[in-house]
Amino acid sequence: MSGTSRKRVRSQALGLLAAALLLTSPGCGDLSNDELNRGVESLSALAAQGQLVANGVARDATKTTYARAMARTLGEEAEHEAEKLADATLEESETEDQRHAAVAVAGEISDLLSELQTFPGDERHGELVEKHLEEAQEKADAIVAQLSGDAP
Amino acid sequence: MKTILKIALGIIAAIGGFLDIGDLVFTTQAGALFRYDLLWAVVLGVLGIGVYAEMSGRVAAVSGRPVFDVIRMRMGFGIGLVALVASTAINLLTVAAELGGIAIVLELLLDAPYSMFVVTAAIALVLIVALLPFGGIERIFGYGGLLLFVVVATVFHQNPDWGDVAHGFVPSLDSSALYLYFVVGVFAATLMPYEVHFYSSGAIEEGWTEQNLKENRLNAILGYGIGGILAVALVIVSGYLFHPIGVEPSDLGTVALPMQGAFGETGLLLALGGILFCVGGAAIDSSFAASYNLAQFLGWEWGRYQGPRKAPRFTASWLVFLAIGVAVAQSGINPVEITEYSVVFSVVALPLTYLPVLLIAGDRSFMSDFANGRIATFLGWLYFAVIVVLALAAVPLLLITNGGGG
Repeated sequence: MSGTSRKRVRSQALGLLAAALLLTSPGCGDLSNDELNRGVESLSALAAQGQLVANGVARDATKTTYARAMARTLGEEAEHEAEKLADATLEESETEDQRHAAVAVAGEISDLLSELQTFPGDERHGELVEKHLEEAQEKADAIVAQLSGDAP
Repeated sequence: MKTILKIALGIIAAIGGFLDIGDLVFTTQAGALFRYDLLWAVVLGVLGIGVYAEMSGRVAAVSGRPVFDVIRMRMGFGIGLVALVASTAINLLTVAAELGGIAIVLELLLDAPYSMFVVTAAIALVLIVALLPFGGIERIFGYGGLLLFVVVATVFHQNPDWGDVAHGFVPSLDSSALYLYFVVGVFAATLMPYEVHFYSSGAIEEGWTEQNLKENRLNAILGYGIGGILAVALVIVSGYLFHPIGVEPSDLGTVALPMQGAFGETGLLLALGGILFCVGGAAIDSSFAASYNLAQFLGWEWGRYQGPRKAPRFTASWLVFLAIGVAVAQSGINPVEITEYSVVFSVVALPLTYLPVLLIAGDRSFMSDFANGRIATFLGWLYFAVIVVLALAAVPLLLITNGGGG
């Protein structure tokens, strides 16, 4: 192989590598409907997990350190999801309303988990947080239904 | 009587030490996403590790050669080096994930910063290894891991639809990429290469000879087999509690939630304690496996029984691997994510570990009367075929599913 062909092959390989990196890097490019859907599903899953932790607090059936650390971790994940959704550019502008609603739900979940983190030994707070997280999950599920065209 | 007791204790330790962070993560996620549908993949993996652990233990007991020695002898320097680099990289990721796992459990129990516990965990492991004999280390973590039988109790407390559970043991045909990714993950988490590296080197550490072949067989078949019940139970409790409400477990702490639901704080503490011993034991096993491999490949003196004076390079490499594990665990990457990558990439390296073991264990000129019989040969090649298929599928599935994120 001549020097020129070798250079061409190398630059083509680098181009392919760069394209592959761009395609696989998280956070690059616009947010597709599917990705938005997955983000909202993650919020629903976080709210469900939070309910189980809050249920332990409400029943006085957990350890406060566990409830606090779990609430902190899940809250951080909800916050991260909110930032991701808020920062991304949508591929389809007609889903803008759903994106706004999802960011609001993420904030709501994060706030509720923050409350649980502050009062991990308070049964009354546990009960309230569990109830509100259930409502937040319902909202997230409703957004998912709208995005997938299943909403009435 | 003494021998029977010794064998029984070994089996119990193998049961308790069966699970590591990879099993905990993949089985819980598999249950949450697919309910009981992947139970068959757990059973497939448990039988596979039983078959290969028995072979590697037998080779070690008969020939005095551990797995990595066999790899270099049978595959030559070049392929041996590739196997060494691949398995060291995977072992380091595993060490980091297990250290991260210990830190997460301590954070959940004591509510102090995660980063502090990573270093504390590493120091505790160094002290344990320095102060306890090899058998003692294995047994402490093995017996502690038995706390996870609270998961089995949770299954009976939940009392799931047993017909649905039974149906999960029949392989189902779901062609979605995510389902296939979890088949690979659940299977690979059970057959992590460090397990056989550690098992066979441990056999030599404990001075096994042909006299110990019965013990080897019982440890590998009964110990791993009954240990597999824990993995099956994790899928069931997760499928029962998480699947209907859409929980996607992304944290190690989530694994303990079903036990809290069933038995309150006691269930939670037993589960967290069991997880702590399992990931602690696996941190030692995987870090030792990395040092065993390096020392055996380069022909250094090796072995915990030799002590730092007789095997200084082995001891130093163990400390270096542990330090690298600490650095990776401290990097801020979620240990669950590190686990997922280490498990999936380990599949790619599985053939390099298991083929030499299979070839040597079946070689009559080397193993004489102790070579593989018909059943071991059949199962060994059957599993090797499965391993090759999964090794080819692992990385594409990881990319298609965005690391299991769907």
